[in-house]
Amino acid sequence: MISRATLARAGQRALQRHTNPGNRRCLATPASGSFSYETGDAAGIKIASRDLPGPTTHLAVVAKAGTRYEPLPGFSEALEKFSFKNTSRRSALRIQRETELLGGEYSTYHSRENLVIGAKFLRDDLPYFAELIGEVISRTKYTAHELHEQVIPNMALSRKSLLGHVDQLAINSAHGIAFHRGLGNPLHPSSSLPMTKYLAEGSLQYYSRAAYSKSNFAIVANGADHQELTKWVGEFFTEVENSPPKDLPNPGATATKYYGGEERIAHDSGNSVVIAFPGSGSITGGSYKPESQVLAALLGGQSNIKWAPGFSLLSKATEAYPQVHTRTEHHTYSDAGLLAITISGQNAQQLRKAIEEVVKTLKSVGAGNVSKEDIKKATATAKFKALESGQNISTGVELTGAGLVQGGKAFQIDELAKAIDSVTEEQVKKAAKSMLDGKATLSAVGDIYMLPFAEELGLNV
Amino acid sequence: MSAPTFTKYVLKRPWLKRWMVPFANWYADAAGYRKLGLRADDLIPEESDTVLLALKRLPPKEAYDRVFRLRRAFQCSLQHQLLPKDQQTKPEEDYAYLSPIIKEIEAESRERNDLEAMVVNKRKKPNNSAEKEAAHH
Repeated sequence: MISRATLARAGQRALQRHTNPGNRRCLATPASGSFSYETGDAAGIKIASRDLPGPTTHLAVVAKAGTRYEPLPGFSEALEKFSFKNTSRRSALRIQRETELLGGEYSTYHSRENLVIGAKFLRDDLPYFAELIGEVISRTKYTAHELHEQVIPNMALSRKSLLGHVDQLAINSAHGIAFHRGLGNPLHPSSSLPMTKYLAEGSLQYYSRAAYSKSNFAIVANGADHQELTKWVGEFFTEVENSPPKDLPNPGATATKYYGGEERIAHDSGNSVVIAFPGSGSITGGSYKPESQVLAALLGGQSNIKWAPGFSLLSKATEAYPQVHTRTEHHTYSDAGLLAITISGQNAQQLRKAIEEVVKTLKSVGAGNVSKEDIKKATATAKFKALESGQNISTGVELTGAGLVQGGKAFQIDELAKAIDSVTEEQVKKAAKSMLDGKATLSAVGDIYMLPFAEELGLNV
Repeated sequence: MSAPTFTKYVLKRPWLKRWMVPFANWYADAAGYRKLGLRADDLIPEESDTVLLALKRLPPKEAYDRVFRLRRAFQCSLQHQLLPKDQQTKPEEDYAYLSPIIKEIEAESRERNDLEAMVVNKRKKPNNSAEKEAAHH
């Protein structure tokens, strides 16, 4: 039995713990947490931070150096693979081991427009990781042996993985057809690109000076105090150039134009067909059309619930072909977008029939045969998807950084939600009609004997 | 592997350097490899992983020239001849092209061993840098 004195003591201690102001904060209580990003400037570098309550921080450099902006093929990916390699201050191994000891992790990836170099770590380690990332972007050595021993073999692997996935091949090809250069550059060098011809350590280093010049990147932090971030960025990011070298070609700077067309690629592991139309640009850019996001949600194709086809138009249309997967994605870029419907599956015969159904549905939407309720549901779905991806820390970081670099304005999800809410039924119908009247993009990868031509589907390309 | 050397010790002492440099130059010339068109770094034994890796890291032109020099030297050696004077290695051509790479690789593996043998201590207070934490080895 517990003695009374013990109980009393425990009670007193509990009371003390409760009233002692120093101990009051626990993980779930917000400190100064705000959902919107606070933006600012530190030593000429754009920064955005959000002091999310919690013990960890996510810090990232978002550079305008995705495949769209690369001067030569493969440069964006090579720059990504070169991050956290030997710098003039410490070796790649030391960086790795120190990060492990501090319990953090770093990760890099590139998309069509952005190169993201980030790290996740405990809140207290902000100075260390700010210094590390500053070092990575300004002091990486770009040695020849790392290029040949690590970077190029690594890129060859990602190229192989790309060649094995029909879905990725199809979406890459669709981007190529739709935008030609710039946004049309493949995300990973595909086999037809002579990659090693262009990659050299000297030119990579030169490109890195452009990619990581002050006007070309932003720093985004989640879970860091704004003052502190400003202080450390000002201290550790001093060695980057103010503006990119003038003599470097910048092919991605020209405004994106949509072309459209058709491409067929033979492949023996699966079939994938992408039907794409011009979509909306990012909310931070000029060509923002929220109705095209609603349209993407309206078409849909993937179910949100288990064991049922779902309520979206395309999932209802392809209900009879359970082996075929249909999904609509809206790829948003700074000044353009691509609304892409991917239809994939092993069975080419079923796939062909499903595509016909999909096109039939598209045409009926274009003719304005959509119920008001469906549009309401689609607006809710589009809003949820946009908010969810903005709230998700990793996608939110890229969106925010890109917004800062491209338009000087951080991506604020509250505005996005408002814009989607204001979409009317007429707007959606008009968007669908103009989409079908314009040129479509069709990319078919797989058994091209079975897969249809755009002509057969009645799409104009 | 790079050869043991007391160059640093000599270079630190100007009076010793003044004595040693002419002697070293005379010795390098007298060693005879220059008369076969070789460089000092061509004499480093290849039979170790470090040197093999360093050879792989040579720029293509250097690697080609190295093979050329070696083959020419073998030929001379077989024929019991020396190269004509104008083809022999001049002192200014006899620079270290391989040993810096070897040193780099050795430093890498030394660092790896050090990090592997490190004893990790729990950090005392926050905002300590990792170097302090990793200082024990």
